[in-house]
Amino acid sequence: MAPRYRMIYFNLRARAEPTRLLFAAAGLQYEDVRIRRDTEWPALKPNTPMGQVPVLEVDGVTICQSNAIARYVAKETGLAGKTNLEQAQVDMLVDGMGDLRGKQAAIRKASEDKKDQCKEELAAFAPNFLRRYEELSGPHAGHLVGDSLTWADLEFYDVMTKVLMYLPGIIDNLPKLAKVMDTVPANKGVADWLAKRPETPH
Amino acid sequence: EKMPAYKVYYFNARGRAEPTRLLLAAAGVPFEDVRFEVEKWPEYKPKMPMGQAPVLEVDGTMICQSAAMARFVARETGRAGKTNLELAKADMIVDGVADLMNAMANYHYYEPDEARKAEKKKTFFETTLPQFLGHFEKLLVANNGGDGFFAGDGLTHAETFFLCLYESISKENPNVLNAFPKLTALVERIRTYPGIKEWLAKRPQTEF
Repeated sequence: MAPRYRMIYFNLRARAEPTRLLFAAAGLQYEDVRIRRDTEWPALKPNTPMGQVPVLEVDGVTICQSNAIARYVAKETGLAGKTNLEQAQVDMLVDGMGDLRGKQAAIRKASEDKKDQCKEELAAFAPNFLRRYEELSGPHAGHLVGDSLTWADLEFYDVMTKVLMYLPGIIDNLPKLAKVMDTVPANKGVADWLAKRPETPH
Repeated sequence: EKMPAYKVYYFNARGRAEPTRLLLAAAGVPFEDVRFEVEKWPEYKPKMPMGQAPVLEVDGTMICQSAAMARFVARETGRAGKTNLELAKADMIVDGVADLMNAMANYHYYEPDEARKAEKKKTFFETTLPQFLGHFEKLLVANNGGDGFFAGDGLTHAETFFLCLYESISKENPNVLNAFPKLTALVERIRTYPGIKEWLAKRPQTEF
């Protein structure tokens, strides 16, 4: 029987990866469709809600916008936070991380002559940002919100893996954040996924 | 059960706080509408979770990020859809609206060169915006014919974000929704919604 969920994206991690990590952490089956930008995307684009991917197809409905998709899967799998307040805290931490993700992605997207400037911008931005996140992090080490794995932890792990490529020691003195980087891959579903997921440029 | 004490902190503007204020108004929930002058911001900034505004304070706990705030109020007041899928439909509209508002902020606040600014604004109003309004019209119609709301059968944070977008774009071009009859009717539906109607009449009138 076909899985109930079908996610469509390019053959990249990028904006689809937090959702893939959610499916993996929860052990929830889904169809991980990866399309070719040149041959398949032009035909699909007009059939998406906002002309963008990723999209998630479920029960005859198509959802777009990577955070809306991730939040939906998080709620379906109990990884969104346990109360309205915890869910709001997860949401705000994920939204904030968009800034960090953006600064890191800017390095990759920049022309060769602008890359150093973008790296400097990330290096200037990250320390204060991460210090605030250490402060905002809840009392249970290894989890940003509450006492168990949430979408916020997975999003953080995904973004920080990339940021650490440029700023390797940046969370060495931020123990709560550093512990999240251990907790996430300790989840069996995540560990299995990390070992088998396709190698992609980003 | 005692109603929680809500405070919204922001500049004296609609901006990124208004979607949350509109939801509180729709629910008839009293809130302290804290508005500070730009010169006072350095005093408030260190107290805000991410050094940014707006912030929603509920019984002393602070939530930042405008969509997270609005979604929290929507959920607390029963205006976030009845299922996870309905919430996702509302969320995707909110994210699409936020992308457009960011594009506007990009040319308005962050483009120092006047010529490039005018060019970006032109592209926004002639290409990007109509494209997305077309998507929103289609999504609205897909929800039971389009004479209701974006998700499920009630007003959600999708509507309050959409009204805020409309208020910004219609200042520039009052005819911006002429090609989109269902969105046009939706704006009226939001404006006359109980609670919102009264708030629109009494809220501080600000440029942004």
